[in-house]
Amino acid sequence: MSSTSPTVASPPPKPRQHAAFSLFRVWTLATHTATQLLRMRILAFLAVFCLVALGAAFFFPQLSPEQQLMQLKDWSMGSMMVASIVFSITATALLLPKDLEDRTLYTILSKPVPRYEYLLGKLFGMLLLLFCGLLLMDLVLSLVLWLKQQVLLSGMIAMLEQQQAATPENLAFVEASIKKYGLTSSVHVQVWTVFLQASVVTALTLLISTFASTTLFTIVTSVAFTIAGFGVALMREWVLKGLYGWTEKTVGALLAILCPDLGMFNLTTELTKGGVPLSVLGQLTGYAMMYVAAYMVVSHLFFVEKEL
Amino acid sequence: MKKRILGVILFLAFGLARFPLEQAMTMSLREQGLKQSPPQVSWLEDFGQMFLASLGGLRGLVASVGYLEAYSAWERNDWGAVDNRMTLVTRMKPYEPTYWDDAAWHMAYNAASYFKRDKELRAAIQNKLFQDHVQRGIEIINEGLQYLPENRRLLETLGYIYKDRQPNPTLAADAFLRAHAAGSLDFMERLAAYELVKVGDRASSEKAYEILKRYYDKGEPFTRMESIQRDLRVLENRLNIPPAQRLPPAPPKDTTVPKRPMLRKSNP
Repeated sequence: MSSTSPTVASPPPKPRQHAAFSLFRVWTLATHTATQLLRMRILAFLAVFCLVALGAAFFFPQLSPEQQLMQLKDWSMGSMMVASIVFSITATALLLPKDLEDRTLYTILSKPVPRYEYLLGKLFGMLLLLFCGLLLMDLVLSLVLWLKQQVLLSGMIAMLEQQQAATPENLAFVEASIKKYGLTSSVHVQVWTVFLQASVVTALTLLISTFASTTLFTIVTSVAFTIAGFGVALMREWVLKGLYGWTEKTVGALLAILCPDLGMFNLTTELTKGGVPLSVLGQLTGYAMMYVAAYMVVSHLFFVEKEL
Repeated sequence: MKKRILGVILFLAFGLARFPLEQAMTMSLREQGLKQSPPQVSWLEDFGQMFLASLGGLRGLVASVGYLEAYSAWERNDWGAVDNRMTLVTRMKPYEPTYWDDAAWHMAYNAASYFKRDKELRAAIQNKLFQDHVQRGIEIINEGLQYLPENRRLLETLGYIYKDRQPNPTLAADAFLRAHAAGSLDFMERLAAYELVKVGDRASSEKAYEILKRYYDKGEPFTRMESIQRDLRVLENRLNIPPAQRLPPAPPKDTTVPKRPMLRKSNP
């Protein structure tokens, strides 16, 4: 039974004002980017990393306990760093060409989505995937390292007992020595700095891809900038010290200006007894954000004039 | 086009602006011991390795690979390659004491003993090579101590080399005492005292007596330690300690107690 009461016409809805910047839109683009990359089976390097970590833990020659733990950490961190940089460069270099090829870019930009939001979405999608990947790697490494540490510790205690030298003093000494080289907060700090480093490389690759004509050009140029970026500290020394000639100084100055100082993120953790101070971590995080922000501004200036 | 030019200008301006900031930050991190200086690899050393080493984050990985190469060279008794690889390793991670320790151990113990036992060499050459490699071990430790001053592990190794490989009780005692001051076990202080007894002069003997008597007065298990008893008796005679303050005569040896198994000779 329908009601016979007269209907009152409701006022027409006000057209919603289009926001110049919407975090929701950026987030939608970011999750779409992450899904797109996952479909490309881009996270296969995780499996490779796990194999490296396990190999480093159990298949090296029988060295001293400290050396075994150090080898495990060095190999895992090295592979983590290489994997994250390779992933940052290749995956980011593929983003824009893939969207052009699939015509997704036209679909997105035909809607009221500013180009800077599109770029931010791509960047955050990459960083999200990178963060999750490194978090998983950190968990795997921590688990393997802890297990290895326990095995070595029990082995050392058994040896001391066999030698009738398991005094409280000796036990405490051995335990402290193995723990120092085992799972400490410095492991997570190093993973975080790897993430910061990869973030800068991602932003740089995205910048290059906004004006590059081919994916190959983007990858090659990004790799060159990244490699030079690790030597920027060295280049700066060439410039600032009076030991070198005019040629070296010019090349050094040019590279130091053009390339990001990626070596800044490589901290020496052997010396840190109580871990890296939070202030330093904050500084490095801010430093990485400064790079990402600057590169994104320049990326936008290039991308806004790009003919699609 | 205008925006692209603006982009290029911004990019270069950013590069120039961050130049002093990065230098200051690098120096600050180095002062806090959180950052290594660029590797001091000379051009005479492998340039390819130096280039790889400049890839900051990979220094640890390069050190690990170099260490494994040194390990396989050690298995082949290729001592030149061991020294070369371990030099690279210590250049890559100069703040890691275990690498300096292992590099010195390879030279002062493994290589030196290998040449000492090489029957194909004349005795004079055997001794020369033995001494050279022991000296190389000492040099490695001293270089490591420049990066890691007063590191207990390196000082212990230096003490052991001066005790066993290039006997010099004065230097051995000094290294052991510094290691103990840097946090080593009390055993190191006692080792220093045993070395001071060997030195023989009055000042060293008084220092040794002070250390050993302090431990003896703590009671068990130090009162049972043969080395402490033996050296204290030597020092009592040497320093003319009054009879009232001397150790009681040693009890007859208990032969029913089974002998302890041999401990590892290496430095734990």
